[in-house]
Amino acid sequence: MARYIVRRLLWAFLMLIAVSGVVFVLFYVFPSADPAQLRAGRQANEDQIQAIRESLGLDKSVLEQFWIYIKGVFTPFDLPGTDATGPLYFGHSYQSNADVKDVIFSDLPATALLVFGAVIVWMAIAIPTGIISAIRQRSLLDRTTMVTTLVFISAPVFWLGLVALYLFAQDVGIIPIFPGIGSYADADSFPAKCASMILPWLVLAAATAAIYARYLRSQMIDVMQEDYIRTARAKGLPERRVIAKHVLRSAITPIVTLLGLDVAVLLAGNAILTETVFNIPGVGAETFNAIKRSDLPMIQGITLFGAFFIVTLNLVVDIVYAYLDPRVRYE
Amino acid sequence: MRMKVLRALVPGLLVVAGLLIAACGGSDETSTSGTSEAAKQYAAPTEAPSDAQSGGDLTVIAASDVDYIDPGAAYYQFTYMVTSATLSQLEGYAPADVEGPTPLLATEAPTVSDDGKTVTYTINDDVKFSPPVNRTVTSADVKYAIERSLLPGVPNGYVQTYLAGVEGIDKAIKEAQDNPTGGAPDISGITTPDDTTLEIKLTNTTSIGVIGALTLPVSAPVPEEYAKQYDAENPSTYGEHQVATGPYMIQNACVADDGSIVSKKCDGELTGYTPNKEIHLVRNPNWGGEAGSPPDWDFRPAYLDQVTIQEGFADTVSASKKVLSGSAMVNGDFTTPPSAIKQAATSGEEGQLTLTPSGGNRYVALNTQSPPFDDINVRKAVLANSNRTDLRNTRGGELTGPVATHILPPEFPGFEEAGGLEGPDLDFIQNPDGDPELAAEYMKKAGYESGKCEGPDCEITMVGDDSPPGSDTAAVVKSQLEQLGFKVNFQKVTHDIMYTKFCSTPSNAPEVCPNVGWLKDFNDGQSMLDPTFNGANVVPENNSNWAQLNVPKINKAIDDATLIDDPEQRKQAWGEVDDMIMAEAPVIPYIWDDQANIQSADVAGVVNKFNANWDLAYTSLKP
Repeated sequence: MARYIVRRLLWAFLMLIAVSGVVFVLFYVFPSADPAQLRAGRQANEDQIQAIRESLGLDKSVLEQFWIYIKGVFTPFDLPGTDATGPLYFGHSYQSNADVKDVIFSDLPATALLVFGAVIVWMAIAIPTGIISAIRQRSLLDRTTMVTTLVFISAPVFWLGLVALYLFAQDVGIIPIFPGIGSYADADSFPAKCASMILPWLVLAAATAAIYARYLRSQMIDVMQEDYIRTARAKGLPERRVIAKHVLRSAITPIVTLLGLDVAVLLAGNAILTETVFNIPGVGAETFNAIKRSDLPMIQGITLFGAFFIVTLNLVVDIVYAYLDPRVRYE
Repeated sequence: MRMKVLRALVPGLLVVAGLLIAACGGSDETSTSGTSEAAKQYAAPTEAPSDAQSGGDLTVIAASDVDYIDPGAAYYQFTYMVTSATLSQLEGYAPADVEGPTPLLATEAPTVSDDGKTVTYTINDDVKFSPPVNRTVTSADVKYAIERSLLPGVPNGYVQTYLAGVEGIDKAIKEAQDNPTGGAPDISGITTPDDTTLEIKLTNTTSIGVIGALTLPVSAPVPEEYAKQYDAENPSTYGEHQVATGPYMIQNACVADDGSIVSKKCDGELTGYTPNKEIHLVRNPNWGGEAGSPPDWDFRPAYLDQVTIQEGFADTVSASKKVLSGSAMVNGDFTTPPSAIKQAATSGEEGQLTLTPSGGNRYVALNTQSPPFDDINVRKAVLANSNRTDLRNTRGGELTGPVATHILPPEFPGFEEAGGLEGPDLDFIQNPDGDPELAAEYMKKAGYESGKCEGPDCEITMVGDDSPPGSDTAAVVKSQLEQLGFKVNFQKVTHDIMYTKFCSTPSNAPEVCPNVGWLKDFNDGQSMLDPTFNGANVVPENNSNWAQLNVPKINKAIDDATLIDDPEQRKQAWGEVDDMIMAEAPVIPYIWDDQANIQSADVAGVVNKFNANWDLAYTSLKP
């Protein structure tokens, strides 16, 4: 197991370098706004723009910029033209001059609260719904829940967010019962922050819960056809025990994989729409701002950070697999 | 201050605009006084009510952050909303100031020597910096503030343009660029004979441009002994450690929420600023006045206790609803979208909606260096054919501003001289709804017998915004060009890419840029017409003369106008320049924006006409 983990970590390291390279290439190959011109202001002359370009290191070749970046993130060497040394030096924002790492870490609590709260909500909805639909196939309840889940899967998150706001937000809603837009920033205690997340949790969880419920249902239906389930029933095990101990345990394994990826992707800033609609100051909202302002260091930092989460959680999921499914062994 | 595009307008903009006009009983009629009827109906108060209440906390709802927190680089209306409350530049703008500023840090308007080459300011001797500096401001602090703006780490976008005539500035610029972390360079033409005198020597008589630029935040004093450690970094971090001289300050560890001094010796790092999230203003304990009662040297009453600017409200429709239905809130950097304007106009309380001429314009630039628009008759045909009312409607209809007929905006020096709202006496600009017959005549004059564009030159490229309302405007422009026979290849990109990669880069500029516009730097024609239509200002990158107009007689008229000192003659000269530009038909001007601002019902907001935003130092909460 230890060898397996070390091998995976080495691959993760190489993958993070590759991700950095891809982001660099994307930024330079596809048209993006010139950060130096944006920073210089509308009447700045060529010399001023060139001076800013130099101060941001944009006058260097793409390869050189990439090397400096990689050095900063992964090595402890001094960086030319900066007072920062790596590792984990992601640079400074072109726009605000803030340290990218500091910004991401300051954004992370809001995103983590959003994501983990939403995970609890969607798992709390998806697991019972999936189980009930699976064991009562083609019943009215099954059909109703499956149609409902289809509606939530089809609804874009930003639309669902706006509908939720206009219905239930205290500031702009018709039935003002939940804290509204920007309430996270106003909240000064953990319970208040949780209250401000109720609508975002529900919105973010809605589509995901629907997907999980449908996935769990189909997994359980497949598992229930297996011989060992028939054997368990023939041995006289109570149905509740058959479902909980044998069917669910097998059916939930792929869900764990899915969950690991989803959590990683959301922590990486992919809750961008939910965070933007509800004005939650998290990694997603930061991503939105960075893209809007062609802020390469911030885009790069968030992407790498996201890749790190995805790689790490994948590894965690693989380890958890071994415990969930005794057939899985790592050599 | 490139115009920020509203990216979050709801679909159906035109429908909403139509409803809006109907709801308000609006028409396209405009007065001849320089302000549209709508702007008159919803005119913003420019002074606080007589019973204005002191105290209370205000929240400003904003979509984005300021452009720069560093006052030396600040160059955007929304940023000025903050700096006008926290800083004291040599001269500032009281809410009603339109044509000229009011002395602020200076005791009076500057004196200009008889030869027009020396500008002298006398500054107040009882202005103090906020904690942790806590000392009296001297003229040397103003000199340092200007000099540090030349550092590459303080990306000022206007000083090198307007202060180009200051003695020794070229040498200082070179020094700063050669040694970006070596401290602010000395500008030999700026001297401080004593602690209250600032003398600026010019190489020519361009004092009005210099005086105009020094009404902007760059002339707000900066204490060298405190700032130099931060200015030695590139980019400078003084912005994150700045000290204030206005009634408010961005909170730092020295000062509590109520403005009381916690510690006189904190490191000065701002605790009230988180980029893209929040700016928290508290009272500056060293200002010298009380809420509602400014010190002798200042004119800002500063009623509020605290101001919190909450950023990140990307959906401006819901943000506007929040302001209108909430308490103690105003909008910040975004123009109120049409649906919210309608809500405020029809069901809001009186005063919740205000319209103020922004001092800006929007136009479609035709590339005068590229066929077929290098032919003046083709350009005139395009202008004649253009339905500018339709173009204006893509921005939200009448309540967003009158249909433009020339460049200089309403209430701006030279506006009336350029023809006022009716515009210059040019047939191709007369009909705001377009005149296809006249357009056909001009096309024939250009050699297109059918009255429509034919041939390979008529296959043109247009680069515009990829999101509303800019993309809506571009779509209408495309349709109007196609009516004249052009085959338009419309490339949609983000607003910033449109400028930096295409329209502002002449080597890569398309034939048509449908989403450009300009906002004044200060109230003088130079700030509106020189960067945008002087052929000498066509530069390889960051070019603002998007039409690439380069007509020697216009260039000369602009250069001559910048040297005129007499305000009346200057207005006349800029008005004439505006007429000369329009006679060349390089652009289709379609709107002079009115800034739509909204406030909660319990706010007694005051709008500053200079930047068409709420003036935080005059706004109060209703009793």
